[in-house]
Formats: sequence, C-alpha cells, structure tokens
Amino acid sequence: MADTLTADSGTADSGTAKSSSTAGTRTARRPADPRRLARRRKRRLAILFVLPALLLLGALVVYPVVFSVGRSLFDADGDRFVGVGNYAAIVHDPATLKAIRNSTIWVVVAPLLLTGLGLMLAVLTEKVRWATAFKLVLFLPMAVSFLAAGIVFRLAYEQDPDRGVLNAVAVGVHDTFDDAAAYPTARIREGQGLTGRAGGPYSTEKGVRTGGSVSLGFVGVAPDAVPAGAKAAAAPAPAADGIAGVVYLDFAPGGAGTPGRVDPGEKGLPGMTVEAVRDGRVAATTTAADDGSFRLTGLADGEYSVRLPAANFAAPYQGVNWLGPALVTPAIIGAYLWVWTGFAMVLIGAGLAAIPRDALEAARMDGAGEGQIFRRITVPLLAPVLTVVFVTLVINVMKVFDLVYIIAPGPVQEEANVLATRMWLVSFGGGNDQGLGSALSVVLLLLVVPAMVFNIRRFRRSGA
Amino acid sequence: MSSHSAVERRRPARLLGSSVVQGLLILVALVWITPLAGLFLSSMRSERANASDGWWTALADPSQLSLDNYSALLKDSGIAQAFGNTVLISVPTTVLVVGIAALAGYAFAWLDFPGRDGIFLVVVGLLVVPVQIGLLPVAKLFGAVGLFGTIAGVVLFHVAYGLPFAVFLLRNYFAEIPGEMLEAARMDGGSEWRIFFRLVLPLGRPAIASLAIFQFLWVWNDMLVALLFADSGSQPLTVALQSQMRQFGSNIGVLAPGAFLSLVVPLVVFFAFQRHFVQGVMAGSVK
Amino acid sequence: MRRPGKTTRRTAATASAALALALGATACGTATGPASGGELSGQTVTVAGVWTGSEQKNFKKVLDAFTAKTGAKTVFVPSGDNVSTFVGSKIEGGNAPDVVMAPQVGVLRQFAKEGWLQPLSDEAAKTAGSSLAPVWKDYGSVDGTYYGLYFKAAHKSTVWYAPQAFAQAGVAAEPKSYADLLKAGRTLADSGRPAFAIAGEDGWTLTDWFENIYLSQAGPQKYDQLAQHKLKWTDDSVVKALTTLGELFKDKQLVAGGAQTALGTDFPSSVEQVFGPEPKAGMVYEGDFVGGIAKDQFGKKLGEDAKFFPFPAVDGGSAPVVSGGDAAVVLKDGKNGKAGMKLLEFLAGPDAAEVWAGAGGFLSPNSKVDLAAYGDDTTRDTAKSLVAAGDSVRFDMSDQAPAAFGGTKGAGEWKLLQDFLRDPSDPQGAAAKLEAEAAKAYGN
Repeated sequence: MADTLTADSGTADSGTAKSSSTAGTRTARRPADPRRLARRRKRRLAILFVLPALLLLGALVVYPVVFSVGRSLFDADGDRFVGVGNYAAIVHDPATLKAIRNSTIWVVVAPLLLTGLGLMLAVLTEKVRWATAFKLVLFLPMAVSFLAAGIVFRLAYEQDPDRGVLNAVAVGVHDTFDDAAAYPTARIREGQGLTGRAGGPYSTEKGVRTGGSVSLGFVGVAPDAVPAGAKAAAAPAPAADGIAGVVYLDFAPGGAGTPGRVDPGEKGLPGMTVEAVRDGRVAATTTAADDGSFRLTGLADGEYSVRLPAANFAAPYQGVNWLGPALVTPAIIGAYLWVWTGFAMVLIGAGLAAIPRDALEAARMDGAGEGQIFRRITVPLLAPVLTVVFVTLVINVMKVFDLVYIIAPGPVQEEANVLATRMWLVSFGGGNDQGLGSALSVVLLLLVVPAMVFNIRRFRRSGA
Repeated sequence: MSSHSAVERRRPARLLGSSVVQGLLILVALVWITPLAGLFLSSMRSERANASDGWWTALADPSQLSLDNYSALLKDSGIAQAFGNTVLISVPTTVLVVGIAALAGYAFAWLDFPGRDGIFLVVVGLLVVPVQIGLLPVAKLFGAVGLFGTIAGVVLFHVAYGLPFAVFLLRNYFAEIPGEMLEAARMDGGSEWRIFFRLVLPLGRPAIASLAIFQFLWVWNDMLVALLFADSGSQPLTVALQSQMRQFGSNIGVLAPGAFLSLVVPLVVFFAFQRHFVQGVMAGSVK
Repeated sequence: MRRPGKTTRRTAATASAALALALGATACGTATGPASGGELSGQTVTVAGVWTGSEQKNFKKVLDAFTAKTGAKTVFVPSGDNVSTFVGSKIEGGNAPDVVMAPQVGVLRQFAKEGWLQPLSDEAAKTAGSSLAPVWKDYGSVDGTYYGLYFKAAHKSTVWYAPQAFAQAGVAAEPKSYADLLKAGRTLADSGRPAFAIAGEDGWTLTDWFENIYLSQAGPQKYDQLAQHKLKWTDDSVVKALTTLGELFKDKQLVAGGAQTALGTDFPSSVEQVFGPEPKAGMVYEGDFVGGIAKDQFGKKLGEDAKFFPFPAVDGGSAPVVSGGDAAVVLKDGKNGKAGMKLLEFLAGPDAAEVWAGAGGFLSPNSKVDLAAYGDDTTRDTAKSLVAAGDSVRFDMSDQAPAAFGGTKGAGEWKLLQDFLRDPSDPQGAAAKLEAEAAKAYGN
C-alpha cells in the first residue's frame, strides 16, 4: 500500500506528456486564435486550481523561512543588527548546548534502536499466526497524541513505587531478594552513648563488660511505624555470662521524658538485631524482645562493644529515579519507542514480505543457517526499506517536541531539552528572545535540509 | 529428499523456537498494552485512591472504579469547550487540506501552466520544513490581522503545513489515472471542473481517505501549534490538559480521564479505518 | 502573585505579551443592574481582570457595592490568563476597558512603560495615602508617578503546620527565630514525623523560601537592590542566605522524604503531605492560600487542625513579610476614565475591601479595614500581620524579575534553586550561576 501511495511518478510524467502531445495535434488543426484563447483559458484555470495552495504555502511556510533567517540576525527585541551573534550565542549558551547534546543523543540512538527493534519484531512475527493482532497492538500508539503518550509515561515513570508501575516492578523484584529493614527511619539519640553515621551501624562509644547492661535509645520512628506488638520498654536484669540491655524508642508522645533514660510511655523496639563485638569479631547475636530487652549470652569474660548492624536501618529501596536529571532523556526516548516501534515494524514487515521466497529457500537447501541467511540475504535485500525507515525516523526525531515538553518535570526540563523545546522556551517561554529563537529554528531547518534534498532527489530520479 | 529430511530433523527445535518466540511476542504485547491500561484504570479511580496506591490494585478490586472523574470532567465547562474546539479545529482543517490539495494535485498532474514542475519540486522540498520555523513569523502575521488566538488562525496554520504532503500525495496518485480517460471526458465536452468532480475525485478516493484520516489525526493530536496560536477560549483539549501538567501529581484525576477522552476519537478512527490509517501514516512518514 | 492552580498564568502571559498580538477573545461580561440616582447614573465602567470562579463572583459583589453607591453600571470582563495581551489588543481595537486589575507588579510596570495608564487622581491618592503603608504606593508607582492602587494582597510569609503533630512531638511554642524553626523541625523529626513538606517541583515555592530568608537576613535595602539587580547575586549576603537555606535543605530530617522526593512534589501535594489523610510532614511553608487548600480540599478547620505562624526572623533581623497583590489601574484609552477613577477611589476606601473580606479568600493591605470583617480568625491574623508589617512589606522578588529569570518553568532562578535543593553543598557556586542567569535576563 505504501507503494501505491508514495508511488513514483513515472506514469504521471509520461501521462502528462501524452496528454499535452495529443492536445498539440488536436489544436494544430484549428485556427490560431481560438486555440491560443483556449490554451490561455486552460492556463488560467490551472492557476486558479493551484492558487489557494500556493498562497497559503507562500504566506505561512515560505515567507516565515525568509523572515526567520532575517530575524535571526537581530537582537532579542529586533532593534539591533547583530549579524551571526545569535548563532554564536547558541554555541556559548550552556542551556542551548545541553539541548544540542540531547538532540544528538536522540538522533543517534532513537532511529537506530527503532530500526533494530522493528527489524527484530518484523522477523519474529513473520511466522506467527496472530501476527496481524500483534501488529495492531504495536501500531496502536501511533494513533495516540504525544500529549496522551506523555501523560501515560509520566504516570508509568512516577518515582513513588505505589504509583509508578515501573518502580513498582523494580521495587518488587528488589525486595524479593532483599528484605526491607524494620526501622529505616530510626536514628540514635545524639550524645547518649551510641555513635555511628546515619543509616547505621551504631555501636556503643565505650566498651561494656560482661555482666553489665546498656540502654540504647532511638528516635525518629513514627508512632504508627512501631510494630503493633511492642510493649513498654523494660531493662532486664544483667546476666553473669553476658550483656543485657534494652533497645527502645527514646521519645514519649508529647516530647515528655528525659533523653537517654527509659521513661514511662516509651516503647521497646522489638526485632532489632543486636551484636556483641570484640576485636572486630561478632561474639554473640540476638534479637530484641517485644519490650525491647535483649540478652547477649555465652560471652567469655571481657569488654565488648554492643553494635546494631546497618541492616536494621537500611532505607527501603525507592526504585529508579527515571525522571531525574541523569535518566530523563533515556526515559523519554523509551516513551518515543513505545509510539514508533509499530511503525518501523510494519514498514519493515512489508519489505520482508516482498523478499522472494526462492532466494531464501535456495540458501536453505545449500545448508546455510538461519543466522547466515538473515545476515547475508535478508538484510541486504531489505537495505532500501531500512534506509527509508531510518531516514524517516531521523527527520521525525529531530522535530520531537511534545513528549519532551510533557514528560520532563519542571526541575529537569533543562536537562531534557532538545532543540525544538529549547527553541520554544527561548522564544515564548519567558525569555522571549526572538532573535535567538529564530536562530534556533533556522538551525532546525538546516538540519532537515539533507532530508529535503533526499526527498527531491528521490522524486526526480523516479520521475525522470 | 535430503531437504525433506533436513526439515524433519529441524522440526522439534523449530517448535521449541516458535514457542519461545510466541512467548516473547506476548510479553512485548503486554508491555505495549500496560501503559495504556494504566492510564485507563487511573482515569476511573478517585483522586485519593490514585494518591495512595497503584492503579494495578484495581485489577484485584474493581470496586475502586467509577465514572466520577469523567462526569466531573464533562461538567467542567473548560474541558467540554476544549473538546469542542478540538473538533472545530480538526474537521475544517481536514476538509480544507483535502480540498485545496486535491485541486492543486490535479493541476500539477494534468494541467499545464508555466513553471509547473519547478514549483512542484519546491512543494516536495517543503515536505520536511519543521513547523517551528513558522511559529514566530506567523504569530506576528496573525497578530497584525487579528487571527491570533482564534480557531481560524489555528486552522489556517495547520492547513498550510499539511499542504505540502497532501499535494505531493494526491498529485502522485492522480498522475496514475490513465490519460485516455481524461482525454475521453474532455472530448465529450466536459469542463475541467466537471472532470475534477466527476472523475478525478471518485478515482482518487482511496488516497483521499488515507490523507483525510492521517490529517485529521495529526491535527486532533497536535499540541504545539495550538499552544501558541490558540487562547483560553479557542484552545483544544491537548492544550487545556497540558496546562494542568505542571502539577502532575495532584491532577491525575483530571489528566488521566482527559487524556483518555482525547484518545477515544483517534482509537475509534484507528479501529474503524485500520487499513487507511496504516496507509496514511506510512505515506505520511516522510513528513 | 500566585494562587494554586494558576501558576501557568505568568509564563503564558509573558509568552504572548512579548508578541504584542491581537487577541480574539470575546468579552463576555455581565452588567450589573442600573441603580437610579447617584452621581454616576447612566455611566458604565468596564473592569478587566484575570479572576475567574469564586474570585470573580466576590469581586462582582464589590462592583455591585460601587453601583449601589454611585449609580454607575459596571461590567466585569475576564481577560483570560494573558492580561497584557488582552489589554494590548483591546487598546489597538479601540475598545479598551476603563479599569484593569493588574495581577503582578511586572504587568503594572509594563503598562506604565507603554504609556497606557492614567495617574491616580488626587482624591484616590489621598484616600490611599491615609490607609495604605507608603510601600504600597511605591509598588504602584513607576518613575515617580502613582498609577496602581493595591486592592487585594497576598501574604507569603506564613508557615503552616498541623497542631497535632506539634503536640505529639511536644513542640509547645511557635518558633520565633529561624534557629528555633530548625530546632522545632528536628524535634518533630525525632517524633517520627519529618519537618517540612517542600514543593520542589514548583520552582516558585523555592524562590519564596529564599526571599523570606534573604529579606530578614540581609534587610529590605539589599532586598530591593537585589530585586532590581543593582546588587549582584554573587554578593556575600546572597551566599549567606543560600547557606542558611542549605542548612535546611541538606538535613534529611527536615525535608520530608529527602530532596529527591521534594523535587517530585508539586505545591498542592506539599499541602496534602501536611494536611491530607496520610500526613507525611509537620509543616509546609507558603502563602496565606495554603489555608484555603487545607480547608477546601482536606476539610481542615483553620485555627484548629491547621494553623500558621509568621515566617520567623533569621539571624536577629526582623521577621520578613513577603507579599504581592492585584493593583487597580485606569487606562487612558478607556471610554469612561472619569468614572473608572471614581471606582478606584471607592476601592481605596475600607468599604470595598470589607465586602470581599466577608466573602473570604481575600486580604486587604488597607489599615482602615475593620478586621472584624474577615470571616475567620486565621485570615484575620494574616491580615493583621500584613497591615502591621507596614513599610517593611516587600513584594515577591521573583515576580519583579524578568520572567526569564524569576518565572519560567525549568529555567533561571526556579531551576537553579531546584538544583540547589538537590545538592546544597555549594552556595557560592549556586550564587555564581544565579548571577549569570540574572545578568542575562535583566540585561545589565
């Protein structure tokens, strides 16, 4: 179908030639005057036919190109001629440079990935019976606006694993291999005998002798984050062959109580792992009971430090910061893949279907492996289709605007900018530097000129 | 014989391979559907539900779903008006592009006038001109003649930037009409107008359908052009929704149903005119 | 000034303002009924403004009061978000409104520079002079001429908190100094509830944080100089303010969820984190409108479930009062400028403000407005604090800056302060970047 639509105009030109030649022979027999009259009338009619199109194109497409080129040579307000100053500014403005860098990433990565993915899927679907349904599903996003696609992916990329599906999967996978800590927010009460950096491990500042006891106070645990079974903290009696103690929440509701002491109303922190350490070796390990009490028994006489390993306090895995400054561009490219893969696959699939079966069968009979056939026969035969897909994608990627504008959250807008969004922000987004904005739009135009030449060449070649 | 046995030998491996392939494709299809499903389910969950847990919980507990967001959205006159504006922008644009391009395409293919081929090459060249280059100059132009901020302005801009492809497509399609048919019609004394309406348009119907669908969806889905040329009274749905994006987290209750609303028409068009749509997109890809 | 949900206004306004284009919006005003008698009977005053919804409804009540008093008919024309484009096109089309409610000081200045404005009549200036602190006259004046009468104000130095969280943590007194504020925040964190919800995704909340600290720490003179970019952002005072702000930003106990979460939190969500059904923080700093959201969206009772205290003084300075407001201006090109000026005279008096004050969602800078007119104690307290601040009130600095610097998503001050929230380790470097952007935007 694509062939019928973009059909080369071979027939067209021969057709026109034929019609004018027949017209010539026909009119030749008639007297000069009416013939000229008729021709003039026909021309006038032809011009009438093309006039609306040409007027609109002239006023709204051609004129703006000329205007923009001119405007790009003046300053922000349009009062002062600055020559190529705006173009120099493009290279010097860090934000614009970022946009150029991102556009380059886009143009290099997206078309390649899409063509590759499209080729792979086209090959895989070739022998599947429900290929049509599959193609339909993948092509569907082409009907969707970039705005809607942007909203769809903004939702999918949400940081909170309770909202963004991607992070829900990431966290789910992570947590199956790694249990969440019981007290991620807990931290020690400063200056009460414990030391350690935020996140643990925490150990006692001074050594504890066997037969002694310690009380380890923590804060920063919300009342509803304390396990339901927790009881009021109580220190156990010291044991002769070990160290006893209590791990507790050193914070009573209302802020009552003295820091560092077990006050009424303060609860134990059950399940906290406690270790006795001597010379860097763990001599005993235990877990705090419901009232926060623990006993480290079976210790040889001596001085130990009591340690609470970091595993108690590990911050829960938050998932990937998809829309952070580092990943925002790849994330948006991901959304772009979602939209365009179907296109690449269907077009390449049409190309695949046109490859003569005989060539493949012959190669198989000669004992060539599937991989070999793919590399040596399929890909070379597909080259023209792949080129068209690739070029098409390059042109479209160069102009990408909506997705970037929609998906990138405010704080990382600048990190995500491409030329088209940068042009918009510079011209209309507050800066209102129309000189620089025009220069950027001219650059954008210059970048698609090769595609323009490619189109014209292709057309002329097929038309000649 | 030998080839037969070779195939025989490969069969179990192929079967295995094919089930792996099928599994892989099912996975891909699921990945493709999931984001849309997420949007759809989110659009039917309350603001509070969306804030506290993920849309996937609705799969296990469908009672979360309701149409409240939609009815609230439709009661919001701003959104309803924006939806109307989208229709008012995309339908006239489609009609105008098809009409103007059909006239021009016919003239480029079958009528003779000075500079015809040169002008057509320029049109081909304009195919890839990015709309960005037109934004600022046309805004100034429209401002001077009072079109800025109006639906008419948005439509005109879309028509102009839709024309190069439309003319290109229709000219090439019309050019394949056998010359004898046109000649015969002329001999019968048919005027060019008559030939255009009675012969060319009906013959060009497949291309026109693809073009119309492609153009309609293109404009329906546009945001950039309307973002500049429309004002608060003439803005289409995309722009109205875009203005809520800054506070994304708090606006899912508006954005998700809004986005889905904006999807419904393209989806219907997509499923109703699959073939034309695919053809239109394929042909329009050079744009 | 900004209100929740309308933050796009400024960007949109400036985008098209620069283009100075004609706008096709149709005026859909509604006329109030004519009153018989009165000095202005038979005349019609057209007023344009950005207000929609309840704000528009309440402002129309004010206009009705004017009609009742003078007999002039009034028409309110919604301008849409782009007030300057709207007015520009109306002037060009010979159909200018008589009075415009300018939503930002930048708009007022732009209009004055275009030569569109009539100076205030002596009568209006006199009425205003007796009830408004001189600072409001300064913000209403351009090059020494008094054009804009501030009618509606915003108070952007209020820290809102959940009293239950304070009680749970045992914070008894509302903090009186920045050091106290951080201390209270740490106590709150000790109780298991992080201190501040910060809406880092909306850059303007961060500029407001900075402005409050800077105004209190560096004083109003430097604040004014910095607002006009007569002082460089690399100045020590800026670095010091950033360091002070960074002390809060870098403390994981104080920023709910840490910087990364804050950067993904928009303004309404930050209010939700404190006053929503699943509270995640104890305090949220922003303007008086936080109370409106807590009340309307989360059903909190102001003064009981949601309270505020004034942004505390920093380093021994005086407590800052950052503000903003809508100013009424009279256009030269209006058909009925005289009656329009009468409206301004009416708006300058306390009667007009009391009409809206009773309806809610309104603060008046007018010292003669009877505080009893406000509907609830919390609003009354904000109004009192605003009026009491007198001449030390300063307008939002980012509102006064060119939009490219102070009002653009993902650029300028917004973006740089977001970067600073992400990594507050280098105030000096942040100041240098701010200066570079400011120099570009101010063009000096």
